[in-house]
This record gives sequence, C-alpha cells and structure tokens, in this order.
Amino acid sequence: MRNTTDRGCDENNTLTRRRLLGRTAAVGAGLVGAGLSTELAFADETYTGDTLVVLSLRGGFDGLSAIAPIGDPDYYRARPTIAVPKSQVIAGDGTFGLHPALAPLLPMWSGGTLAAVHAVGQQDPTRSHFAAMESLENAAPGSAVRSGWLDRMLGGTGATGPLAGVSLGNTMPARLFVGSTAAVTMAGVDDFTLAGESAKRPMAAALRSLYADAPDVLAGPAQAADAALAATSRLRTAGYTPANGAAYPATPLGTALSDVARLIKSGIGLAAATVDQGNWDMHDALGNAVKGQRMYDNLTELATALAAFAADLGPAGMKNVTLVTISEFGRRVAENASRGVDHGHGNAMLLMGGGIRGGKVYTKWPTLAPPALTDGDLTATTDYRTVIGELLQKRCGFGDLSTVFPGVTPGSFGLATAH
Amino acid sequence: MTTPQPTRRTLLRGATALAATAVAGLGVDAALAAPAAAATGRTGLLSGDPIAHLLRRATFGATPATLAEANRLGLAGWLDRQLNPAAIDDSALDALLTRLPLAGADIATVRAKLPARSYDAFGQLGRAAVARAIWSNRQLFEMTAMFWANHLHIAAPSSGVWDSRADYDKTVTRAYAFGKFSDMLRASARHPAMLTYLDNRNSTKAQPNENYARELLELHTVGMNYTEADVQAAARLLTGMTVGAGGAYAYNAARHATGAVTVLGFSHPNATAEGGEAAVLALLDYLAMHPATARRIATNLCLRFVADEAPATLVAKLAKVYLDNGTAIAPVLRALFTSSEFAASIAQKVRTPLEDLTATVRALGLGIEKSGTKALDALYNHLVNSGNAPFRWAPPNGFPEVAAAWASPSAFLQRCNIHLNLAAGWYPSQLTRPADLLKSLVPVLPGTYGGLVDALATRLVGTPLPAAHTAAVLSVAGKAPTSSLTSSDKQLAGSLPYLIALVLDSPAFQLR
Repeated sequence: MRNTTDRGCDENNTLTRRRLLGRTAAVGAGLVGAGLSTELAFADETYTGDTLVVLSLRGGFDGLSAIAPIGDPDYYRARPTIAVPKSQVIAGDGTFGLHPALAPLLPMWSGGTLAAVHAVGQQDPTRSHFAAMESLENAAPGSAVRSGWLDRMLGGTGATGPLAGVSLGNTMPARLFVGSTAAVTMAGVDDFTLAGESAKRPMAAALRSLYADAPDVLAGPAQAADAALAATSRLRTAGYTPANGAAYPATPLGTALSDVARLIKSGIGLAAATVDQGNWDMHDALGNAVKGQRMYDNLTELATALAAFAADLGPAGMKNVTLVTISEFGRRVAENASRGVDHGHGNAMLLMGGGIRGGKVYTKWPTLAPPALTDGDLTATTDYRTVIGELLQKRCGFGDLSTVFPGVTPGSFGLATAH
Repeated sequence: MTTPQPTRRTLLRGATALAATAVAGLGVDAALAAPAAAATGRTGLLSGDPIAHLLRRATFGATPATLAEANRLGLAGWLDRQLNPAAIDDSALDALLTRLPLAGADIATVRAKLPARSYDAFGQLGRAAVARAIWSNRQLFEMTAMFWANHLHIAAPSSGVWDSRADYDKTVTRAYAFGKFSDMLRASARHPAMLTYLDNRNSTKAQPNENYARELLELHTVGMNYTEADVQAAARLLTGMTVGAGGAYAYNAARHATGAVTVLGFSHPNATAEGGEAAVLALLDYLAMHPATARRIATNLCLRFVADEAPATLVAKLAKVYLDNGTAIAPVLRALFTSSEFAASIAQKVRTPLEDLTATVRALGLGIEKSGTKALDALYNHLVNSGNAPFRWAPPNGFPEVAAAWASPSAFLQRCNIHLNLAAGWYPSQLTRPADLLKSLVPVLPGTYGGLVDALATRLVGTPLPAAHTAAVLSVAGKAPTSSLTSSDKQLAGSLPYLIALVLDSPAFQLR
C-alpha cells in the first residue's frame, strides 16, 4: 500500500521516497541500455490481441446499487431506504439504470464502449469473502487446477516479455496471476527502483549472482525484479503526463490505472494487468444516492478513475484494450438494520473497451421476486467465466478456452466485436 | 498528524484485500511450493544450531546478546524465562513508549485527548508495535501478542475504531497473549472495537447483521467448517452485543433476538432477552473448546513458527495440548518449540517484510533514537509501503503467514533498499548507531575481503555465505575473496555499507 492514511506518514513517505530515489538517481544511467535492449527483444511479440485489464472490486460489490433494476418492484420492496430511486438513475431504460455516481462514465455508455452484465456470479455458493475470492480468481472449481485464471490467460497469449503480465498498486502478489507465468507485482512504476545502483556500485549485477541458484520462492521475485527494472528504467526517466487532460483521482486505483495506461502506451508488451479497488463490503451505512454516502463516493472514485483511463488512452488506444470488473460476490437483496447489505451472490460486471458493444445491460434477469432468489440473494443466471470467455475469444484471439476456464462454454451475448 | 481525507481512508480498507486472499487457501501453497530439491537447498544457507534456529523463529531477529543468553540458559531455560515476561526488564523500551502515550490508552483517554475520528492513536499504536518488535527484551511475548492480534484481527487504521483500537490491543490481545484463548475470545466479543469493526453494534433482532457471526466462526474459531444456517443462528444470538454511550461495551437486551439456537452442535434455549449475553458467552466457550478451533489455532501457530505447510503430526499434538489445558496458550508454545517437527524445520520459513526490517535493525545493533519518533516514523512508513505495517491489514483475516504471499518483485526491491539505507545510516538517520559500525560487527579485521564478508555474514546471518555469494557481494566493491585487506584500506569505508547491504540482501538472510 503506497498511500498512507495519516498525514504524518505522508510527509515521511515523501522523504523516504525522495531519499531512496535520490540515492538511486544513477540507476537509470546504469540500466537504460539494458532496458532498451530488453524492450527491443520483445517488440516483435506475436500477441496482437487486446490488453486485458481486470479490476477487482474487493469486499463484495453491490451490483444492485450500481446497475439498479428500476423496473423490478421487488427491488424497492427489499430496500425501502437505500434503493436508488427511479428518478435518480442515469441512462435508465425502464428496466435498469446507472447509479448517478457513475455519471463520469456516461459518455462511454452513450458512445457504446461501456456495457454491464447483470445477474452474473460463480457456481460456488460461498458467502465467505476469502473462499469466494479464492474461487473467483482460480476460476476452476472442482478441478485440480490451482493457478489463477489470469495466469492461464497470459500463458495462452504467448506473450513472454518481462512486463507481459503486471499487477499494479500492490506490493503483494496477485492471486489472479499465481502460476507458471512470471507476472510482475509493482506497487507503482515510479517506486520501482533499486537503491545504490551505479556504474561504480553494480548492485543489480551482484543481486543477479546472489539469486542465480536461490530457492524458487526467493529467486522468482528477485529475477523478475531484475528484468522489470531494466524494462521500465526508460519510463521512469521520461516521467509521465496523462494525455487528453485525463484527470485520475489521487487514490490507489487512480494511480494504478494511470500506470497501466503508461505501460500500454509505452508499447512494452503488456497483455494482462490487474488492479484493485477496495471498501465495497458495505454491511452498514451504504447510504442514499447522494454525495458523501459510502456507495456514492466509492462509485464516484471508480467512475472517475475509469473515465480518466479511457480519456488517457483515447479512442485509438482503447481499440486494443478491454477492461472488466469482477467481485467475489454481490450483496443480499434485502437491506439490514444498519442500512447496509450483507453478503449475497449474483452481481453485475462492467465491461469497457473499444471492442465492447456498449450502452446496454446484458442479462438473463431472474427477477427479485422472493421465489426467484437464492437464499435471499440475486440468482446468478450467468457464469462470470462465460462473459470473460466470450471476451477472450472476440478480443484476445482465444479459440479453445479449456485451459483458462476448464469445462466452460463461452457466452453468446454478443457483447463485443471481433478484434 | 491530522485526520485524513475520508476517501483515502476508506479506500485503504480494501487496497490490500487482493493480497488478503492471495494465500488464503491451500491452493497457492501447492501452486507456489518450491520443489523439494530447492527446499533442501535452503538448509545449507543457515546454521543448523538449535539455539540459533529457536531465536530466528521465536524472536524478531537474533543479536549477539540474545544468542549468548539463550546459549547460557538452553532452549528450555530460555522458554521459561520468556514465558514469564514480567520478570524481564524492559525499561529502555518503556522509556521510548512514553513518547507514544496513546498506544496503550483506554477509550475514555483517547476520546479526551483527541478530536473525534482522529487517526493519531492508530499511528502511535502501529509505531509502538514496531518499537516493541525491535527493542523489547520480551521477544516471545511480543511475537505471540502479534500472532493473536493477527488472529483476532481488527485493522488499524479502520473507520469507527479510532477511540477503541488501542484499548483492544492492551486489554484483549496483549492481555491474554500467554493466557487462555477462551478468555481472549470473550474479551474480544465484548470489546467495542470488535463489535464496531465487524458491525455487530448495529445488529438488531429484526434484521441481524451477519458480519461478526461469520468471521467469529470462519476466522476466530472453527474455520471453514460452518453452514449458512450456523451463521444466521449465531448472528441472531449475537444481537444485543453493542456499544453504548461513551463508546463502552454494552449489552442491549431490547435488541436481542430470543428463541432456541443451534450453532455447530451448540444448543441454547435463549429464552429471555436478559439472558442473551450469557448465552453468547456460553457459545464462545463452546467454540473455544471446539476441536476444529484447536486444529485451526494449532495450524496457524505452525504457519507462524514452523513451516508454510503445517506438519500434520505437530498440528494434532498441539491441538491436544490446547484442549487438555483448557485453551491455555503457554503450554502449546512450549510444546511447539520443543517438538521434533520444530527442530527439523530449519530454514523452512521466509521473513516477512516486518521480520526483515526488525532483524536488520537488531542485527546491525541500531538503537532507540535519543528523542522524538522520527526514526520510528520512518521505519513504520517503510512497512506501510511494504504492506506489512502492524495491524494495517484491511480485511478481517489478518496478514498471511506463508512466503508465497509476500514474494514479489516490488517487495524484494523494498527489502534491498531499506538494507542499504540502514547500513549506510542515510535513512532514517536518527537511530543511535555503534560508534564504529565495522568494529562492532567485525571486531578483528580479517586479512582479506573474503574474510571480511565471512565475518559480516557470521555476525548478520549466523554463518558464512556460500563461496559464490561471497564473491557476488564483493563484486560491488570491485574485490575478490582473496583481495588483501588492511586497516589502512582507503576504499573500505566507502564500500562497507554496500557490502553489509548485500549480505542482508542475500538469500540466506531472507530465511528464518
């Protein structure tokens, strides 16, 4: 976590970072050459599909607030104080409407590059955050497969550059990428430095020798760091200004998406990236659809960050990018005593990209009528893997999906155009 | 320190959630487990001495003084001494902690001293934990207290517990660290911090909130051995456990859902609203003594102290000791550290970012700053950036214990960067340092650079590095192991921080 929560820390963090960077000012000089040659080595990559960006909404996203089922009377019966009123939704079509906090995304929705899929979920019925995230990211329930699905996707692309797969915004490795590909975990592009490195003090070379024969769990990160340092040194030297006046929110999600756009635009060979947004576990005080309320504010941050990402890449850049949101589960249909919602099941996903057939909600809506619910929750009529599977086939050049999603038949919503 | 933007704070609650599940299950362990050949290669990197092994696991890093003491007392004697922390002098640390008065403050004091929702108590609490880990002489107590804080985790900072989180640390996880788990569980269930963090304070009989009930079962006691019906029944029983005026715990009978409940084989008539709290306590006692809880706690202790895959034989042994002793912790720890499985586990754990930092500061002999907390701020912030600052894990499952969860390129660079900064004294600069760092680490200068690195590694890691690693370390100084070294060597002072840093960067120092 790079952003701290108390200001004293912020001050000191600045010092830390500046100090470390100061000491490493020479790192660029020492590694620029290596960086260039590394980039050249994979500039002729064979993967030509979309860069897939997976945004994990941690804690259990409430799809019923984000993409409100305004045409379903049981929505208003189950949530007497926190349902989004019909009069407040945007882009409403009588059946569904977007939460007003998603207003920054309206141009993409209207322009046809943003869509939603509703009543999506997992086969696994668990309401445990931890078990649900694990199965969501493994995406192969009931099988012996233990890797993350984004690792298997990355393997399927054939992309092999040192930055083909990147998890941004976290120091800890992403479970989505657990497996055989060497995806890189980067807190941020600008923080990714090695102190002391210079022509006179070749620290990176010494570390390379130290880790040449180390146990795998230690050698993997050290070697990935070495390759990624070289591959990104030119980016750090150049700095970054988002294009088209894109204004990312100064939050972990905003910073991470800005770094994703930066890597995409550098032509460094990014095939798959994962970023996070947290604080969706709204057991209490979800609030009304007005500024200052939990749901409104978290959706605002999400929408602002996604809008900045799309603006930064521009229509030409977004032609080769597909972004999807996933979350471990949706929320209970009925609100609880704390004006919040407990763990549920079915949920909504957002899809954004130049190849998305946007402006609409794709769903096999099961309704919120009590008999249609699953243990009080929205029934998941669409397996989330069939949605991603369709995107992998249409946008990422995949034919057979059995490696990424064993036993899953891709969906046929027609939610994307062929690449 | 001032109160942060709410958005910043709330975002953080989920910012690490990704990693929260990174290694929640066996899946990742299996996927990332090092091949057997590589795993056996680890043992050659560390000393096989049982006392050195004990101190790598039961403390935040060995020092010459702790090694000398443990060698004098022997393994059992050292455990006896550490399991009686009140008898161990900690006055130097206590003097530092007076600079962090809110770290141990009760709810009323925090409320009196701070504006509502201030994060200052969180900041002091986190810094105090870093200071204790590094400089306390009660190392096993601090290690164990951190284990329990992680088991009955309440994120700090997290919204709502600004006034109560420090008190929770003092009166729940630290108070019972060497006591009985059943007492700790009861105390946690009646603490405003827990009832706030997991939303039970707002739960009512009409619409129970399930958050605490689920995590009480899944995380605090039996693990993934419950049904949704168990969660719903427990949530109903827990209604009424709330927070009253002044921020203190209160039982509100008017909110309690009466009626018979069954949870995992526990049954209670729960006939009266007034009797609801007693029924909850009966459930907690039942859960504390549940065999699944015993196995879960035994497993987690093994993950903390023994290996990333808990030895099944040791889990069974410790679970029995736990139940035989009515959930008392000290006998379980004694059984763990004296077990054959523990003795056989040399080099099977990897240091977390926190352990890497504490072991570095301790190994280098860096001391408490003369005044203020600037250095402590810097150490804490390093851990914030590493995702491992004490208590600062957003979701309720606590920090993961296995190496795969921490093994990332960013984390690797952060380790290397702090090693060099601490070795060179660049940052933080306020820690007290030995007058002559080289002399304190290597009292007698060897005749070659190879001898110097051997001596540094013996002091910092406990054993010389493999020959190839020694050569790699020396490459940063443009030297070979055979290069001669004299006290008049003009390059030595300039090279020393880099040599020390690379010894600390080496694979051996990452193992514990």
